[in-house]
Amino acid sequence: MDPERGRRVTPGELKLVDTALGNVQLDPHIPRVHTPPAMFGAGGPMLKQFDQSSAASRVGSQAATPPRSVVGIGGKVAKPDYSEAKIVLAMVGLPARGKSYLSNKLMRYLKWLEYDVKVFNVGQLRRSRARQKAQQSGKKEDHTASYFSHANVEATKLRDQLATDSLEMLIQWLREGGNVGIHDATNSTRSRRAKIEERVAQEKGFVTIFLESVCDDPAVIAANVALKVSSGDPDYKDMSREEAKADFLRRIKQYEGVYETITEPHLSYLRIINVGSQVTVCRINGYLQSRIAFYLMNLHLKPRSIFFSRHGESQYNVEGKIGGDSALSERGQKYARALPALITDNIGDAPLTVWTSTLQRTIQTAQHLPYNKLTWKSLDELDAGVCDGMTYEEIEQAYPDDFAHRDEDKFNYRYRGGESYRDVVVRLEPVIMELERQENILIIGHQAILRCLYAYFHNLPQADLPYIKIPLHTVIKLTPKAYGCDEERYTLPIGAVDTHRPKPGSTPQPSQIGGFGREYYGEKA
Amino acid sequence: MVAPLYTTASGLLFHAGQILIVTVGLPARGKTHISRALERYLRWTGVKTQVVSLGDYRRKTLGGAQKLPPDYFTLGEKSPETVALRQKVSEGCEQIIWDFFDAGGQVVIYDANNGTVERRQNIAERFDKAGIHIVMLESLCDNEEIILSNIRSVKISSPDYRGWNPDQAVADYYRRIKDHEIHYQPVEETTWPFVRVMNVGEKIMTNNIQGYLQSRVVFFLMNLHNKFRTIYFARSGPSLIEHSYKADSDLSPPGWDYADRLRDFVLDRRAKSVKARGMEAEDRRLVIWTSARRRSHHTAWPFLQLKDGPRVKVIEKPQMAEINPGVWDGMTPDQVRKYYPDEWERFVRDPYAYRAPRAESYHDLCIRLEPTLIELEREKEDLLIIGHASVIRCMLAYLIGLPASEIPAIEVARGDLIEVVPTSYGVHSQAYHFWDGPGRSNSGSGKDEHNFYENYAEDTQGKRRPEVDEVA
Repeated sequence: MDPERGRRVTPGELKLVDTALGNVQLDPHIPRVHTPPAMFGAGGPMLKQFDQSSAASRVGSQAATPPRSVVGIGGKVAKPDYSEAKIVLAMVGLPARGKSYLSNKLMRYLKWLEYDVKVFNVGQLRRSRARQKAQQSGKKEDHTASYFSHANVEATKLRDQLATDSLEMLIQWLREGGNVGIHDATNSTRSRRAKIEERVAQEKGFVTIFLESVCDDPAVIAANVALKVSSGDPDYKDMSREEAKADFLRRIKQYEGVYETITEPHLSYLRIINVGSQVTVCRINGYLQSRIAFYLMNLHLKPRSIFFSRHGESQYNVEGKIGGDSALSERGQKYARALPALITDNIGDAPLTVWTSTLQRTIQTAQHLPYNKLTWKSLDELDAGVCDGMTYEEIEQAYPDDFAHRDEDKFNYRYRGGESYRDVVVRLEPVIMELERQENILIIGHQAILRCLYAYFHNLPQADLPYIKIPLHTVIKLTPKAYGCDEERYTLPIGAVDTHRPKPGSTPQPSQIGGFGREYYGEKA
Repeated sequence: MVAPLYTTASGLLFHAGQILIVTVGLPARGKTHISRALERYLRWTGVKTQVVSLGDYRRKTLGGAQKLPPDYFTLGEKSPETVALRQKVSEGCEQIIWDFFDAGGQVVIYDANNGTVERRQNIAERFDKAGIHIVMLESLCDNEEIILSNIRSVKISSPDYRGWNPDQAVADYYRRIKDHEIHYQPVEETTWPFVRVMNVGEKIMTNNIQGYLQSRVVFFLMNLHNKFRTIYFARSGPSLIEHSYKADSDLSPPGWDYADRLRDFVLDRRAKSVKARGMEAEDRRLVIWTSARRRSHHTAWPFLQLKDGPRVKVIEKPQMAEINPGVWDGMTPDQVRKYYPDEWERFVRDPYAYRAPRAESYHDLCIRLEPTLIELEREKEDLLIIGHASVIRCMLAYLIGLPASEIPAIEVARGDLIEVVPTSYGVHSQAYHFWDGPGRSNSGSGKDEHNFYENYAEDTQGKRRPEVDEVA
């Protein structure tokens, strides 16, 4: 046994820790407008002193691998273990009922929460196989409505095969480490669903959930049909709009003839009727599953816009300091005064709610806005812990190695006594849920916070997230569409400092936004 | 998940208005269990909530079933006296509901059978007229076992059956609910939003649920279960700088000693209590949650070195970090009083709701912990939470059902293991003392005056400390 183990802290050590505080002389004559110094900030000598002096008393237990050391200003944090989550989510529903919309939306949400999610779309598989075949043999398969008729024995067999293959690909992908595989197909009959259930049950630890999307609102169906026909679906490449529409409607008819809504009492399923108006939840077990259900319950399709704006330029921005709770600068206040006109011009009489953080720079920025305002503690800026109130240069000077570490993996880097971007994502999850439920919202936020929210709406990868450009004095307007978000940016001509730090050593890349049209062939081969 | 603390003129949260949740279901279908759990959850989130139980009110005003006319529980034709009596009870109950709403209450859960469309419609219309939102909460059960165990564990211990032979009581109770079954009309009308819960959470159906608060209720119900499990709470071991949040310091040598002792004690204690239930501890997995703070995560470290014994899984949850003291980090109360006299005064006046500059209030902390609590409800395995005093306080308050204002004053001593077993009407909690050392004073309060923001309870001499068994 380690001789250190049983030993109590020596009085000397205790004193050391005790006096660490006493060392900071708090002058009683200082008027209280002056904030006393941060006790354990990385700027002062205390943290370093403490780390050095306590190094000897750090007993690593008898661990096979010693626990993480505690020095410096932070460190990289591992991704949480999601390996136990293995879910096959099979869509059910007639064509043009928003199945792909729901599966994409869900994928975006779960990916943002760092689950490994992939959509396996049977339509894409069919089209890319047909294209392959056409390229090889020059023979073009007939994929008009008659192909989808259940009386067409040959085609039915082919379609069955496609669904089976797609499921096999999905299962293989889950085995290799995926978390949630979404089987995007009509799965409209009991026998098809029974087959899926039976196949997945053979895999240990895999769970099947069916997600049925029912829609009887003719307006929504018509909009979906129009979208399908007008968006360049290769199935209708050589047809006129009218022909395409007629053919697509015939295809729906073919499915309607054999469609069986989920009534099997033993299945786990969610049924969504007219997105947002009625939800049935049956035999849903497991935390992730209930999360999925809760998320779907909060969705709606009403047209709306989400506005993001950072607070106006703050004193700390001007001084190059991070964190803090400083007031707006002169220019920041100018922005706050100009903001109401910009928003009102854009939105007219439509109702809008403004969300701010609890920090005064966002509250001040929102002060002239003639709308309902809410403050969210969860919208506070990423907590820089011991580095709060310092400039990047100061941090670099005090802790050059640690500083470089942060740039290596900014998403996973947690400031000591503070947060990482991942922690912020976890903290913002409830905000996302609320955003999905709401209609027009303006968020007056902070750089890191808006980066996380923006990444959710644009489905941007984690590695890029901490480098997203969210300049000061700019309003970003996002309008959710079927397969992503439209974006507009309005920059007010009020100067501000640039707080964006590109990743050192990397060539600046224009962020990849756009291209949110529907994928007809799946991944490029 | 809960919206932030903001005050509205009405004192109502989430812009959700006032809500009347009308329970619907035959007797012994778990309505009370669900109602109480929901009340506990909503109260904890700060929503003023009250269960109004028709049965309790009837027993209180009229006495046990024996004192009632024989046709009281049979549906159909009744004598004028009985009709008048029933009328009186239901009017009395509704008066309580009105009074609660008038006094600024936000949610009432009306726990009664409400088994006919006519009765439901009647209640709903009256409250709807007053601008109160209606939600029907139907509890159905087609599993005879759940019903029987419910009757045995809850119903026949009620004052209605004091002094009865249990089997006769069960038989009588079945007779009493038989008529209800014949006349029962399940909620099929879609006039009002409804939630239908099958077999306490097995299946859930919702209709037209609107608004944040209502969908939260559904999400909560989805995670409810009534399987047996035990939840343990312990504080993290003492660290090198107890009173600094920012320093995120590691365990001190006594802290490592604490961690070893905690592991041994938890395994021993758990083996005993699992055995007492006729199960083997080895068959059940122990899940450990820690915060992402070093002192907490490292306290779980000895569990990871187990070569044999029960299966253990350690999960680090960043949402479980202790309350953030903001600019008061590392300060003594004297220093705070000196530099922040106004803030200090407001803090002492309302330590639950007051948020020091850049800090979190206990309310903020509760909001942050809310997703974790849902996971706690959901978890079916035994759970050990190695947390910080402030976090354990919030979680205990939730489980025990204490009002929010008392949260900062719950005593959580370092060196105590708190065992919580959920039961149908609440929880059973017990604390076991297993460690003495620095950071735990002789009085056992574990008071550390330097760390006052986190440890406010110790400063107030703590109330509501679970009963302690001295073991060490």
